[in-house]
Amino acid sequence: MLTMKNINKVFKTDLVETHALRDFNLSVQEGEFVAVTGPSGSGKTTFLNIAGLLEGFTHGDYFLDGVNISNLNDNKAAAIRNEKIGFIFQGFNLIPDLNLAENVEVPLRYRGFSAKERQRRVKEALEKVGLGARMKHLPSQLSGGQQQRVAIARALAGEPRFLLADEPTGNLDSLMARQVMELLEAINKAGTTIIMVTHDPELARRAQRNIQIVDGQVCDFTLYQGGQNHQVDTMEQAAS
Amino acid sequence: MFLYYVDLAWRSIKKTPILSLLMVLAISVGIGITITTLNVYNMMAFNPAGERAEQLNTVQLWSQGPDSWADYHSQVTYQDVMNLRKGKVANEQAAMFRSGMAVQTDDPQILPSLNGVRVTDSGFFNLFEVPFIYGNSWDKSVDEQAAFQAVIGKKLNQKLFGGENSVGKTIYLNRKPYQVVGVIDDWHPQPKYYDPTSGAFSKAEQIYIPFSLTASEEFSVWGNMSGWKYERLDDYQDRLGSEKVWIQYWVDLPTAEDRQSYKRYLSQYVEQQKELGRFTDGKSPEESAQLSNVDAWLERNHVVPEDNKILLGLSVLFLSVCLVNILGLMLTKFLKRAPEVGVRRAIGASRSQIFSQYMVEVGVIGLFGGLLGLAWAWGALYGLSARFGVAEGLTHLSLSMWVITPAIAVGTAMLAGLYPAWVVCRTKPSVYLKSQ
Repeated sequence: MLTMKNINKVFKTDLVETHALRDFNLSVQEGEFVAVTGPSGSGKTTFLNIAGLLEGFTHGDYFLDGVNISNLNDNKAAAIRNEKIGFIFQGFNLIPDLNLAENVEVPLRYRGFSAKERQRRVKEALEKVGLGARMKHLPSQLSGGQQQRVAIARALAGEPRFLLADEPTGNLDSLMARQVMELLEAINKAGTTIIMVTHDPELARRAQRNIQIVDGQVCDFTLYQGGQNHQVDTMEQAAS
Repeated sequence: MFLYYVDLAWRSIKKTPILSLLMVLAISVGIGITITTLNVYNMMAFNPAGERAEQLNTVQLWSQGPDSWADYHSQVTYQDVMNLRKGKVANEQAAMFRSGMAVQTDDPQILPSLNGVRVTDSGFFNLFEVPFIYGNSWDKSVDEQAAFQAVIGKKLNQKLFGGENSVGKTIYLNRKPYQVVGVIDDWHPQPKYYDPTSGAFSKAEQIYIPFSLTASEEFSVWGNMSGWKYERLDDYQDRLGSEKVWIQYWVDLPTAEDRQSYKRYLSQYVEQQKELGRFTDGKSPEESAQLSNVDAWLERNHVVPEDNKILLGLSVLFLSVCLVNILGLMLTKFLKRAPEVGVRRAIGASRSQIFSQYMVEVGVIGLFGGLLGLAWAWGALYGLSARFGVAEGLTHLSLSMWVITPAIAVGTAMLAGLYPAWVVCRTKPSVYLKSQ
């Protein structure tokens, strides 16, 4: 579903060049739940931004659903983000002036759905995350965990093919974090591919596959199946 | 999406009321001042003759001698008028000047009042399409064989005769009886183009009497009388035979051919006069006569003063300064919302959608600014009228301004908002998503 080949991302200033990603290779299959870990500054967020078409890259090829999206213009990238990708952020990133229903409705507006269809999807998504009764509340009236669930509902409302989550539990206490994680697992079981960046090894272990990024490169793959940890011998083996 | 953007704009305005109010105020002050001056300028520059502006012409003659006036005078001498009237070359013609007389009726209850009177020919009413409610102009024969007849205005008719059909009744002008032959409707062309020399924005007269009575009745002149040389005027007849200019002379020349033909007629007339020892400035007959259509006539009489044009330019400059300030305020406001833009971009908004959203917001602010600006303009014009006694015709906010003003405000605000909206729509979503 998602294939990156020799992706390089270089940030240039007048004085220095910083290689955020270096010959980065990765393949994610449909329905997978992949956790991405690594130390701060290793390139996790850069990878996620490139995967979510929020940033371009310097070299390499990126295939999404078999389509090379290396040279997409802004309108096409925005349309793909809107239709295929859902985002969940550490800081929730809800729009504070809009109530829950209106927040969830935002991506549907840009997609051009009718009012009736938007209403149906918003209701369905909020009910799915257990907030169907609080549609008219403002984000500031909710706890952190609830806000993150709204963000998940917003990501789900457009029925994306995959979710990109950047430390989705980073701002939550352990109880809230567990609830959000359970929600993500349920979403994944329903068929949505998830790539989640996290610092938390506990959460990473709950994913089907764990990728570690160090200095802008994939350096370790670990498969977790039925609670068993299987270290993969080579990167080629794991990336496939 | 437009209504969605309007809704977002309204929420944004409510969220930052002080900043939004500052922007609305800045636009409204700029627009208010511009619209006030534009309104006065438009009123002054308006050509009330409409489609007939080209065919209505005044006659100017270079009757002055050497070393005197350096340009044509707007008015002509009595003797030239009398000579040209005899020719009857034009489709319609009318000589005129403004006078003033005491008005009375047989009703002793009505006190005498001093009124402006237009002394003119019967052609005046056709030339300027004056609407009648009762009767008509005096007969053309009266232009030759003087008769004490008058046309009065609706307002005066109301005052003297209670508004009823007064045709056939008598009014007294300076104690002389005049028979009313017609009553005209309210008619006040602005500017008063048929005679801007006696106040371009004053109201039309309420009394009209035949020009043919001038010589016998020796009407006083309530207007400009100019001379280019010293002439001793012992009596009214001396004035009539002098080189003093004090009469406007209008002709109706519907086609270009008519105008050419009339110019030839004027040249021939000048040639004759030269033979009689007049028109001594050495100019050729062709150079000694000209026709001015309504536009040229208004310009010649400086109906729109140069100061007014400068003032209009300055007000536009002031509006530009306001817009630059608004641009800064908008940039501040929009960039504060860059994180929200980042979220919207991440979840599927294209740059053009973000740009449209912010342009709609700018437009809504501009609309509020325009509406408030209209109120400023209305207040300023009212203030001008009340404080300085500026002619009513100039301080009336024209109907078109009620539509044009919000459009100008929205347009200019959007112009100022282009850069801030462009900057914010180019927000890199990845920069803000992590930091929010």
